[in-house]
Amino acid sequence: MSRAAPILSVDDLQKHFGGVRALAGVTLDVAAGEFHAIIGPNGAGKSTFFNTLTGLLRPDAGRVAFEGHDVTGQAPHALTRRGMARTFQIASVFPDLGARENVQVALLGYQGATWRPWASARRMGETRARELLALVGLDGLSERAAGTLSHGDQKRLELAIALAGRPRLLLLDEPTAGMTAQERLESIRLVHRIAGELGLTVVFTEHDMAVVFSVATRISVLHQGALLAEGPPAAVRADPAVQRVYLGDAAATVGQAV
Amino acid sequence: MSRVAVAAVVAAGLLGAPAVLSDFWVFIAIEVLAFALYAVSFNLLLGFGGMLSFGHAAYFGVGGYAVALLLNRMALPLGVAVVGAPIAAAAVAVVIGYLSVRRTGIYFAMLTFAFQMLLYTVAIKWTGLTGGFDGITGVRPHGVLSDPRLYYFFTLAVVAAALLALYRLVGSPFGYALRALRTNPRRLQYVGVDVRTHRWAAFVIAGAAAGLAGGLFALASGNVFPSWLDWTASATPIVMAVLGGIHAFLGPVIGAAIYVVLEVVISGQTEYWPLVMGCVIVVLVLVLPEGLTGWRALGWRGVRARGVVP
Amino acid sequence: MEALADFLLLHFGWAQNPVVVARQLLAAISNGMLLFLISAGLSLIFGVSRIVNFAHGALFMLGAYLALTITVAGPGSIGVFAAALAGATAGLYALGAVVEVGLLRRIYRAPHEFQLLLTFALVFIVGDVVKLVWGREDYSVPTPALLTGSTRALGVTFPTYRLFLIAFGLLVAGALWFILHRTRWGVMVRAATMDRQMLSALGINTRQLFTAVFAVGAALAGLGGALAAPIVAVGPALHVQVIIDAFVVVVIGGMGSVAGALVGSLLVGLVNAFGVLAFPALAVVLTFALMALVLVVRPWGLFGTPE
Repeated sequence: MSRAAPILSVDDLQKHFGGVRALAGVTLDVAAGEFHAIIGPNGAGKSTFFNTLTGLLRPDAGRVAFEGHDVTGQAPHALTRRGMARTFQIASVFPDLGARENVQVALLGYQGATWRPWASARRMGETRARELLALVGLDGLSERAAGTLSHGDQKRLELAIALAGRPRLLLLDEPTAGMTAQERLESIRLVHRIAGELGLTVVFTEHDMAVVFSVATRISVLHQGALLAEGPPAAVRADPAVQRVYLGDAAATVGQAV
Repeated sequence: MSRVAVAAVVAAGLLGAPAVLSDFWVFIAIEVLAFALYAVSFNLLLGFGGMLSFGHAAYFGVGGYAVALLLNRMALPLGVAVVGAPIAAAAVAVVIGYLSVRRTGIYFAMLTFAFQMLLYTVAIKWTGLTGGFDGITGVRPHGVLSDPRLYYFFTLAVVAAALLALYRLVGSPFGYALRALRTNPRRLQYVGVDVRTHRWAAFVIAGAAAGLAGGLFALASGNVFPSWLDWTASATPIVMAVLGGIHAFLGPVIGAAIYVVLEVVISGQTEYWPLVMGCVIVVLVLVLPEGLTGWRALGWRGVRARGVVP
Repeated sequence: MEALADFLLLHFGWAQNPVVVARQLLAAISNGMLLFLISAGLSLIFGVSRIVNFAHGALFMLGAYLALTITVAGPGSIGVFAAALAGATAGLYALGAVVEVGLLRRIYRAPHEFQLLLTFALVFIVGDVVKLVWGREDYSVPTPALLTGSTRALGVTFPTYRLFLIAFGLLVAGALWFILHRTRWGVMVRAATMDRQMLSALGINTRQLFTAVFAVGAALAGLGGALAAPIVAVGPALHVQVIIDAFVVVVIGGMGSVAGALVGSLLVGLVNAFGVLAFPALAVVLTFALMALVLVVRPWGLFGTPE
């Protein structure tokens, strides 16, 4: 039985900064519907990978294909319009605008409505914005300035912003960074549930193995800018190369998660 | 005092002014209107878009020269000249903007400055076109509008219409995108907005509005000079906007009114207006950074640093 | 082909005459040295505190006026002239320190438009103060005795004073290089131009550093002004052209780099000196076009650090 075409296909992606090879040729396929974790020690290139994938950085070599189309090196706004949404390790929102306004602006952006010069934008997308805030559990805070929200709430807001464009692929850069262990599990389960409901593919980077093994359907291990292993959680856990790199740490936390 | 009451008083004042003011002060009122548009156009970039332009005077100057050339050299009707000013300024802004928005922050600012200086040198060197240092004089509306009081109403109508358009722009989806751009351009990219092109568009619109203001002012003062584009002129819109407060749409309007009137009054008393202006600016920067519309936030403690986009 | 030959002859014919070339070259370098003194300070101030000091030309002008006042005591005397140089340098150092502590220090965290306005305000204030103190006329400062007349250099006779400027400028450049590369203070300054946060994290007193850098920058501008006094018209309009050229230099050379200021000054000096021969009307436009080109293509200039 042949596999369906992957939603995201990365082929030998490379990026260097001066003499440092941040990405040394990453090749990876993500099938639709996966909840795919990318793990690896600090400096393994996870954020660089996301940045190069989504056009914030220009790759030095390699190809990226999204839903079969070559999108290598395209600008972030173009990729977003194609159906790829992204969040950041430190939640990237519009601090001076209210939470609801944040989502409304996002909606305007995704719809390409930001060129309209006359109509009042104040109420545009208000209903849908409220729906999205409710989906991520922020309905009580819709009028608060985004900059004044707690770290965890800002991450939820960012998720709502990412979902506003009805993406098919969600790229989450350290979605649980800065949270307590309990918050992390709750947060990732929320994302997992929403992704399931909406039929989204999710690729996320993560340090906490408990989080990873509780929800991931596939795991990729990045090490020194290259893919060390990729596959279902059990296979990755058992991979001797992975165990060598995570010397002891993976074994300990994996034990807890199961 | 309710907003409606304030608006009514202001409207009455604007409409009734020519009846009570002397010829000289009618001219000053026209100058205030033109500079109000100029200041608001600048603030579209700074207060709303987070883009500090050191070279905005260029478009004010281009508008002035456009009107002078269209009216005097080419003997075209007034309407054509007035429409030509923002178009000429926009055309220049398209080119300069295209190059300038490739950079942000201080580099963007220096680029706009470099281009203003370039245009300034064109204004002083290309004497055949611009009259060099002597500028172009005898720029006067013909016919009905040669009466200063009627020209005042004409300017009032044009400026009011332009300000209304800019106000709608700021409240529109484009305006919201611009405001979002100021605080987090990267997030704006990732909600599907082509940030650079939006900046470019804002730059062109602001340039066009400044050009219109320059054209109206040229007609009122009867002339246009290269000094409208010299390097110290780039401070004028910044002073007016900051004086009035960059976070309110009408802030720069108030700033322009105070700036123009202050200049007229002080220049009448002493030749050291720059010294006075310098001191006013120092006080403004150190004591009243939110400008006059934000007088409640005295000093820097009450102000979050709303930095320019890096 | 004929048209091309005519074009080349018209615009570059002067290059066939070695006397003209040599003379323009020396003029370019001597002007470049004066420009270097202003630009070095401007560049350092920007590199360390990120403030674009529009008032730098006014500081240059004050240096010239101070030299004017001091040389009144003994016009033409080389000793008095030396005192004028020292006085202008010290005076502007003090003024720079006062301005930095009293005004600039309060706005380092302010949005850029406030910093810009404050330096502009200084331009307006100083511009009028010199008119109040010295009047509106242009003055001339006599060239000191030993440096009058002409000397032979590169096969041409050239004003001795300008040759002195070249020598003195190189001396100052050398001294600056030594300070920045061989003293502890200089290393801190160079580090600050690259990463200010790191410096305060290392426990270095950045406040004092900023004050010192601004004062030194002002002192250099003052010295430049004093040196320029014998060859320019010392009047209220002196600061205008100077500041514009200084900006062009700092952009091209790289904001924060003294080496860049030197190279940029010489480049601008050369473009001005030879541009005026090749394309008289366009020469001035050329420098701004160059500035714009650098900003679009490589905004951190030749020697600056990309952010």
